[in-house]
Amino acid sequence: MNEVSGKMDEIVIEVGKRHIRDVSQDIMAACATGRPIRVIDTLSRHNLGVGLPDNVDITFEGSVGYYCGGLNTGANITVERNCGWAVGEGMAKGHVTVGGYAGMSCGAAMIGGTVHVKGDAGPRVGVAMKGGNIVVEGKIGYQSGFMAHSGRIIALGGAGESCADALWQGEVWVAGEIDGLGVDVDVLDPTAEEVAEVDAILDPLGLVDSSRNWRKMVSGQRLWYFESRDASAWLMI
Amino acid sequence: MCGIAGRILDAPGKVGADLVDLMDAQEHRGADSTGFAVYGLPRETGCVLRGMGFDKSRQDADIDVFESILREHGSGFLSDPNIVTDQNRHYCIRMEISDPSNLEAWVSDSDELAGRIEVQSCGRSLEIIKDIGGSEAVAEKHGVRDLIGTHGLGHARLATESSVLPNASHPFWARPFLDVAIVHNGQITDYFTWRDKLRRMGYRFMTENDSELIAVWASDQMKAGLTMEQALKKSIASFDGVFTYMIATPDGIGFAKDRFAMKPLVVVNRNGDLAAATEEQAVRRVMAGECDVINFDGPSLTGTWGVGNRSLAA
Repeated sequence: MNEVSGKMDEIVIEVGKRHIRDVSQDIMAACATGRPIRVIDTLSRHNLGVGLPDNVDITFEGSVGYYCGGLNTGANITVERNCGWAVGEGMAKGHVTVGGYAGMSCGAAMIGGTVHVKGDAGPRVGVAMKGGNIVVEGKIGYQSGFMAHSGRIIALGGAGESCADALWQGEVWVAGEIDGLGVDVDVLDPTAEEVAEVDAILDPLGLVDSSRNWRKMVSGQRLWYFESRDASAWLMI
Repeated sequence: MCGIAGRILDAPGKVGADLVDLMDAQEHRGADSTGFAVYGLPRETGCVLRGMGFDKSRQDADIDVFESILREHGSGFLSDPNIVTDQNRHYCIRMEISDPSNLEAWVSDSDELAGRIEVQSCGRSLEIIKDIGGSEAVAEKHGVRDLIGTHGLGHARLATESSVLPNASHPFWARPFLDVAIVHNGQITDYFTWRDKLRRMGYRFMTENDSELIAVWASDQMKAGLTMEQALKKSIASFDGVFTYMIATPDGIGFAKDRFAMKPLVVVNRNGDLAAATEEQAVRRVMAGECDVINFDGPSLTGTWGVGNRSLAA
């Protein structure tokens, strides 16, 4: 652990070729101090910043690999550039900001907190998520929202093919072009009250824009409560 | 969950060393076996062969038979075969041969000996080196770091669809096409059907590995007149399963991804100096400093990159 940093009181931790177990031990020790943390020379390594506790402010300089911010229980995590697969997977609380692109399964199975991606995101954003919010300033990839049980995915720059496929109680909000819908999706024009709820999520991120043409996607529930003798429900798959 | 990689240098150099680094960074994706396809400087005549013998107690006798088959086809060794052995029963062999009078006929006859010696690559420039174990172990055993060339492929295997056998490792040569190799991450679920079709067309397969057919199928498509780009696009609709694969020829490297967007591919391309891998952290082993990374994460994607920025699309 290097105590020298350009920012007052900041603890700097180097990754490089070190074993991630050693890096994680340094990060957890730094978390206990309550001081801000900067992780440098990340080299897109996997499993950085997993299982971080509440009241932690940590920044990853550069890009990280898979599972960054996974199982977060309240930390404020910033990745300055790109993330690999499954940023914020299974997180319960806290905030993850990705400065660039987020790879496949961003926010997978998360149950709370917010993931904010400033660039585009890969396929299956919010797959099987059970709560919380995912805000993507760019475009969300193929089959985003797949089997999302709860929570909101909000895409400001459009969506790829098979959008909102097989949703449960989750919602996918898209401003911009949608390349194609998945199965069993209802596309709704949201009410003013619902738009206000989304704007309340976007407001702290400085992203409110009243000129957006929102489309809200929810489950058609034809698969959800399908009648086994009704072949049309099966043929949707 | 295998790991794959491709590397194109902007000038001939230590491509073997870079491929070893790319695969070492992805060894956690599978260390059952590791393999490399290296494209060296092409020769005008003659071929370099890489292969495997399966019983080193019969090594000399089997090589004599192999050489007699070469002679029957008007070919022969240009130098003494280079043999690598260790505690395993199998041994690996590198041979330089003069051109057979009919390449396909020689490959066919040579394959009759495949239970004893199996040719695993044949080309003017292609050499496939593969063996059981992780990247550094295979590289050290076979001197991969010292191999000079223009481009190549790498593979770290987690065996799923077939046994952990040295010859079931990737890359696979597109038997009997000169200088074509593939690496594959995923499963081709209709491979029995495809292999049967290709067998009835006269092609031969040496393993039960689903990936072996990709190389042959794609080469057959290109033989029929498709460009690499066209063959790659056609493969997405033809194969059932999840896959990202890369195919290499002396002209460059191409890739195809399935309809379900399941297997990643990350690429850094600095004007023809290119590294591609399953994981970004592997690419960063050979591309120093921050660089623009392209994530080919979407479904049904293909792409080609030529050596020296040659086009593979037209």
